[in-house]
Amino acid sequence: MTANHDLTGKTIVVTGATSGIGRAAVRELAGRGAWVLGVGRSPERCREARDAILAEHPDARLAFAVADLSSQRQVRKLACEIRERVLAEGGGKIDVLINNAGVVPGWYTATEDGYEMQFAVNHLAPFLLTYELMPLLQAAPEARVVTVSSSSHRGARIRWGDIMHRRYYHCLLAYKQSKLANVLFSAELNRRLGPASRVRAYAADPGLVNTEIGQKHTSGFIEWFWRQRRRRGATPEQGAKTIVFLASDPSVRGSDAVYWKDCRPLPPSRYAQREDVAARLWSLSERLCGISWAG
Amino acid sequence: MMITGAAGGLGKAFAAECASRGWNLYLTDLAEDSLRPLATGMERLYGVEVRIRPCDLTDPAARAALWEDVARQGVCFHGLVNMAGIEHEGSFVERSVEELLGIVRLNVEAMVEMTRRIVQFRDPARRLLIINASSLAGYFAIPMKAVYAASKRFVLDFSKALHEELKPGGVTVMALCPAGLPTAPRCIRGIEAQGFVGRLMALNVGDVAAMTIEHALAGRAVYVPGIFSQFILMVGNLLPERVVAAVLNRRWRDRGQPVRHTLSIPVSSTSEVMTSK
Repeated sequence: MTANHDLTGKTIVVTGATSGIGRAAVRELAGRGAWVLGVGRSPERCREARDAILAEHPDARLAFAVADLSSQRQVRKLACEIRERVLAEGGGKIDVLINNAGVVPGWYTATEDGYEMQFAVNHLAPFLLTYELMPLLQAAPEARVVTVSSSSHRGARIRWGDIMHRRYYHCLLAYKQSKLANVLFSAELNRRLGPASRVRAYAADPGLVNTEIGQKHTSGFIEWFWRQRRRRGATPEQGAKTIVFLASDPSVRGSDAVYWKDCRPLPPSRYAQREDVAARLWSLSERLCGISWAG
Repeated sequence: MMITGAAGGLGKAFAAECASRGWNLYLTDLAEDSLRPLATGMERLYGVEVRIRPCDLTDPAARAALWEDVARQGVCFHGLVNMAGIEHEGSFVERSVEELLGIVRLNVEAMVEMTRRIVQFRDPARRLLIINASSLAGYFAIPMKAVYAASKRFVLDFSKALHEELKPGGVTVMALCPAGLPTAPRCIRGIEAQGFVGRLMALNVGDVAAMTIEHALAGRAVYVPGIFSQFILMVGNLLPERVVAAVLNRRWRDRGQPVRHTLSIPVSSTSEVMTSK
């Protein structure tokens, strides 16, 4: 169903690029000729991913940058590094930004900014990185921001009274909230950019995929849960399909849909479509990142 | 509210808990680099005022400089959360004298000074809360953690005594006695190394911080978070001390091995030393 569109000349940034869905997406996109900049947390894993992909696609144009997205300082530093490298090698614009990196720690964990880890990495990092890279996205003839969400967003609400889930933390509830935030962010970004904008945002639902998520720094029941869950999951390549589709297929542009699964638009939960919730989350996220999109 | 060891896992949770109550913060830890983003985050999230002051609390001169700053700035406090502490796990004879004394300097000496000084710089109009980090380890004599556990025992008795002594002056002193908490990857590995028991005892630091403040506000002298820890304590108090020490020795020797591996301390020789005594 996905045609293999040639992506030569395109510049694509992918976070969480060293494992799972992100890595599969990088392999596919670089294989089609795009200049891909992957972001990972560990230098070794970045090197390892780079070598593996180059072994398969020797002509791939591939670069990696290292950043811990739980830290806002590092997100900002990463944006600077991406800017420099895109200006030097990537044609001075970004065609596609894929916010894929995600974590599910088993316990409440505070980041260096004092925020809850999942909210910081799964939601605030994409929010801030997209903001920082917006000038480069707007420099492309038509750009896309693809944020990897999940059907886990269904049934979730934003816990306004304790958005960091400090009390009664449960990793799955915090995960669901962060994936809901991804949908709300994508929809609100489109509203703010307006219909005439050259940049559009999408939330991709990869379906259930067999990756390592939920198994780093968790244990016991939680690890068991994710292991059972991933057993039924598809391969990372299948999971990356919708992401690659949203990043490359020209037909996507004709649709107003925000949320996509199996390369088809699908309505997200009713709560995820609420404009008041999206606007409120947006202004809170601005405050927590110390930024203002309007200004 | 002053928080020492603020950049640690539990310290950050206390910073968020106190800030969420609208309390302004005075945060201290070793590195300014780790304090600044935390301060900014707390200001943005809760709209409170946050001051930061890097300080090596093991150094008496650095402590003196900190309090001089406090005096100069005219800050006054209605609370102190004393979370700074170190722990060296492993055989006593394989630790350097410096390392062992470092535990005493931070966990005992600094604790006493900070507690004494905060009373001096208290907000006279408000009740003063002092929360000192002891540990479940403070209740037992623990082989492989001899100095650490004894230092926490000091904190426990010190806090209990001050709790009574300072109560009439509108001061609540409380000792917090948690079991291992899942704060850093190393601690999580440690909890996993202890198997099922470690996992049962693990609590979310967000809940621990919130409950601790609630207990302190309720005027308690000691707070042991978690039903399982409270149960261990009850059982431990019923058994003769020698039995408890023997059980703990076995537990740390057998189950603690993976942890000690990550800290790369050889174990085999140490257990021989322990048993031959």
